[in-house]
Amino acid sequence: MITRTVLVMIVGALLALPLSASSARAEINIFACTPEWGALASEIGGKHVDVYVATKATQDPHHIRAKPSLLAKMRSADLVFCNGASLEEGWLPVLLRKAGSAAVQPNKVGYFMAADQVDLLDTRAHTDRSQGHIHPEGNPHLHLDYGRVLTVAESLSSRLSEIDPEHEEHYSIRLQKFSQMWQEKGKRWSQVGHNLKDRNYVVTHSQWLYLQEWLPIHFVADLEPKPGLPPTAQHLQSILDTIVKGDITGIIVGPFDDRQGAEWLSEKSGLPIIDLPFTVGGSDDAQSLSALFDVTISRLLEAE
Amino acid sequence: MSMKHELMAACAALSFVVSSSAFAGENNDLEALRAEIQAMRMAYEIQINKLEDRIEELEGARDVTPTSVRSSKSSAQSSNSFNPALSAVLSGSYSAYSEDESELAGFAIGEEGERGAENFSLGETEITLSANVDDKFYGSTTVALVEEGGETVVELEEAYIETLGLGYGLNLKAGRFFQTIGYMNEHHAHADDFVDRPLPYRAFLNKSYNDDGVELSWLLPTDFYAEIGGGVFSGRDFPSGSPNDSAIGALTGYGRIGGDFTDNLNWRLGASVLSTDTDGRDGNEDTVSFVGDSHLYIADLRANWAPTGNAVHQEISIQSEYFYRDEDGTYEDTDAGSGVVNYDDHQSGWYLQSLYKFAPQWKIGARYSTLYTSDVPTGLVGTALDAEGHDPETWSLVGEWRNGEFGRLRAQYNREELSSGVEDNQVKLQYIMSIGAHGAHKF
Repeated sequence: MITRTVLVMIVGALLALPLSASSARAEINIFACTPEWGALASEIGGKHVDVYVATKATQDPHHIRAKPSLLAKMRSADLVFCNGASLEEGWLPVLLRKAGSAAVQPNKVGYFMAADQVDLLDTRAHTDRSQGHIHPEGNPHLHLDYGRVLTVAESLSSRLSEIDPEHEEHYSIRLQKFSQMWQEKGKRWSQVGHNLKDRNYVVTHSQWLYLQEWLPIHFVADLEPKPGLPPTAQHLQSILDTIVKGDITGIIVGPFDDRQGAEWLSEKSGLPIIDLPFTVGGSDDAQSLSALFDVTISRLLEAE
Repeated sequence: MSMKHELMAACAALSFVVSSSAFAGENNDLEALRAEIQAMRMAYEIQINKLEDRIEELEGARDVTPTSVRSSKSSAQSSNSFNPALSAVLSGSYSAYSEDESELAGFAIGEEGERGAENFSLGETEITLSANVDDKFYGSTTVALVEEGGETVVELEEAYIETLGLGYGLNLKAGRFFQTIGYMNEHHAHADDFVDRPLPYRAFLNKSYNDDGVELSWLLPTDFYAEIGGGVFSGRDFPSGSPNDSAIGALTGYGRIGGDFTDNLNWRLGASVLSTDTDGRDGNEDTVSFVGDSHLYIADLRANWAPTGNAVHQEISIQSEYFYRDEDGTYEDTDAGSGVVNYDDHQSGWYLQSLYKFAPQWKIGARYSTLYTSDVPTGLVGTALDAEGHDPETWSLVGEWRNGEFGRLRAQYNREELSSGVEDNQVKLQYIMSIGAHGAHKF
């Protein structure tokens, strides 16, 4: 096994050298840190981009190790499209340094962070880790905001044109199409969203914050006593006490959340657990950005 | 909106006052108060939200079609944002041993390779500063404050620069740093899965090898991960020998491949070599010295498996390294009065460890490590290098609990038999906390 792998490595290295030197690259290699930005990159880039998505919906993008396969992909990336706002701070900087690629370093044209394109919620002037695992730049989970996604798409299109000016028209047409589709969808989402008015939810972690930006819903409690710290029995109990008093629709849980706390609370309070996909691929029916929003809204509506 | 914020702020302020004033009082009261405040806060929020919605309704239909949000980030930077990332690692331990002495039969080891201090000990306090120097270089330095024999010693663990984006997958690193050999060597000890390092690291590398020099690495342009590299170093650190000998150097070389077997299972396999030509490497508290060529070959494997697809909740890791040291030169044991004796032989060792994270905050693990040495030449019989046929070995068990990402506590049990018939039962308790900048999740 070992000798075979070593052989494969040597042969692969020898083959790859002339190949990489001779091939006039037809596509822009995009290294996307998370599924939602991978999906957006495909939407805007179309046939002129080759998108590699570094994480799956079941993985918490904060806790990723700079594993070998990521390093290999980072090396060949022309554009690194990540979330930013310290979401990937544990692994992205290591990959960037080790990959030895000049074009994708911070402040270079190949370095594109979604969080740098928009304003964030929950920015803090003073931070202390006793507040939990917080991001001083603000809440990074911006992709669940309808409006911010559109802004990121617009910036991405111009960035792609900058890297690959030859296909500028292609990217702006793709953006136009996406933006048209998004706005049409948006009208429907907001119409249907009206029915969610007054609904209050308990969430597992502050990753849902941006839904509140454009849907008339409210998150009234967080299972984590502090961001990034697991729920304690006492904290759960205090939430349970309030549920009895207030009217709350359900407990929102995402694909990589720890379900234990939510299940306990659901059992004690009788509140339903609402599984939301959180990102593209987070549920079987959320395979694109618009499907992600469709599924999110319909699941919120289902749970009354 | 402002009313809601004010109320929330008031609640927060109230909870702060309550929590700080009740701090000395009964814990139960405090919990009860907290729960009550939380309940009040939520009940208020719900009411306020309702009122807000009513107001909006009265004011006319709320337009939930959102507008696009542009970043208004100003390009102005405060001088503070140019400060390097600063972090400190605080660790302390308590160790108890059943045996008074610990001698590693058959090996002359450096000071760091010895059994850790007994009783309470601070271990290493590390302070790291790092930042991009400009668009071409990255710089980092780590200073460790180490307690040695009742004194606090300052050790410059790392001080290096590294290129950013040299292109073609090339990376150049210069200065003092933990060389890329084996799996564990380039990791700081506080990132380890066990309180102490396995026997091969203690015997062959004096815990870790950090020398001064230059290292070049090349990430191959392959679809899977493959990297080769090597370096030239001063030879100041064990196993190279005496720091005051400027003529002697050390060479390293390595090759690594890795990838994903499945989405949830990643691995890396490596081979490396460290070659030195030393004219005086002292071990066993300066009683044994070696002069000559020393070549250390290491094979390493690490694999991580997340059974549920999310490594935060559950993860199993396996890690193993094999060491083979070939030496040609002379040994002298002044304690045993051996005189200078010719030596041309090899020693070896390996360890295997596995860690199981069964819940987000909990990890347990086991490790076995052992060393082998061949029969010594007649001149060295009865010296520290004569293991009398015994192969040192250690069994270890560890349990770890962490709160969030930055603090962890662990307990470890070792059963060590480093020389024939001496069974040392060890218990180690340790805390490791990091403050400041977020550390890297290295592979």
